Amino acid sequence: MENRIILLIEDNPDDAELILRAFKKHTIMNPVVLARDGGEALEYLIGPDAYDPSRIGFVLLDLKLPKVDGLEVLRRIRENEKTKFLPVVILTSSKEDRDLIEGYRLGTNSYVQKPIDFNQFSEAVRQVGLYWLIVNVPPPS
Amino acid sequence: MEERTAQLAESNQRLEMVNRELEAFSYSASHDLRAPLRSMEGFAQALLEDYGDRMEEKARDYLGRIINASRTMAELIDDLLSLSRVTRSEMRIEKTDLSAIAETILATHARTEPARAVEYVVEPGAVARCDPRLLRIALENLLDNAWKFTGKTPNARIEFRVVRENGVTMFCVQDNGAGFEMEYAGKLFAPFQRLHAAGDFPGTGIGLAIVQRIVHRHGGTVRAEGKPGGGATICFTL
Repeated sequence: MENRIILLIEDNPDDAELILRAFKKHTIMNPVVLARDGGEALEYLIGPDAYDPSRIGFVLLDLKLPKVDGLEVLRRIRENEKTKFLPVVILTSSKEDRDLIEGYRLGTNSYVQKPIDFNQFSEAVRQVGLYWLIVNVPPPS
Repeated sequence: MEERTAQLAESNQRLEMVNRELEAFSYSASHDLRAPLRSMEGFAQALLEDYGDRMEEKARDYLGRIINASRTMAELIDDLLSLSRVTRSEMRIEKTDLSAIAETILATHARTEPARAVEYVVEPGAVARCDPRLLRIALENLLDNAWKFTGKTPNARIEFRVVRENGVTMFCVQDNGAGFEMEYAGKLFAPFQRLHAAGDFPGTGIGLAIVQRIVHRHGGTVRAEGKPGGGATICFTL
């Protein structure tokens, strides 16, 4: 897994805690950087002190966020030359058609609805983590 | 005439506003109502996993109840959202083979539950001008019910038939399952009304409410007939 960062963009502290718990439970030990709103996420992604995109394994993106919403964050990731290939997985409560359509139109790599049942939630997080950190081959930096 | 046009324009505007509000409500329900449930379910589960071995049986039982209730509520929210999606979605009317849809749904049930010996009959050639996506949802709900409520019936039988009465074409799903008392027939179509104990037959009671919405959107009517232990027949027009 080469210790690439997982950038978790999540405003709900409970969901963030549950996601971290799921990673830990499945011994996914990569460092997780938490952004609590869209503005903070953009600082980490494209601001002057942004992380080198090649250090980021994948982005877990919630949609309903304070300040800058998730779809806008996705749009900015895709229109920026440095971050446009970054794997983005939308992980959100809703599966409303308009979120799905906008998410895919803006180029998300995956869309996962957060299950209520923690066992399912944890399994979803495990699969996403393993797939994007191990199975998937990232673009050359 | 002018006054009438103005009235129409006004009620149209009001209708559009109500629709927009409904859309906004469903959107926020979909995002915001689920999140607290995830916390309740998730942290109750975490307590069980991390501290369950140090708890008394009773404490674990209480946590189990919190977990079950959260899951039930999640199902209810999902069902309400499906109901509202059926109301909000745009209609696309085309010539649709209802028999083919019914056949596919029943064949899928038979394939996924081979242990159930259900005899089913689909009358071919039930064709209607309707929204195929919505009618698939309606037939799924009707046939899923028929499948479910014949679960304890030996020689279970499900039929999809076309009935013509006084020049009106009705599409009917008939089963010989658990049935219901006619006294409560009116209640069947209200959301979350159940006529059976949850332990006997699972479900939240949203299915027939969805069927009714779909039928109403096509300007049709739906009615139910049945008797306890004697099966149920649901007929609709489009």
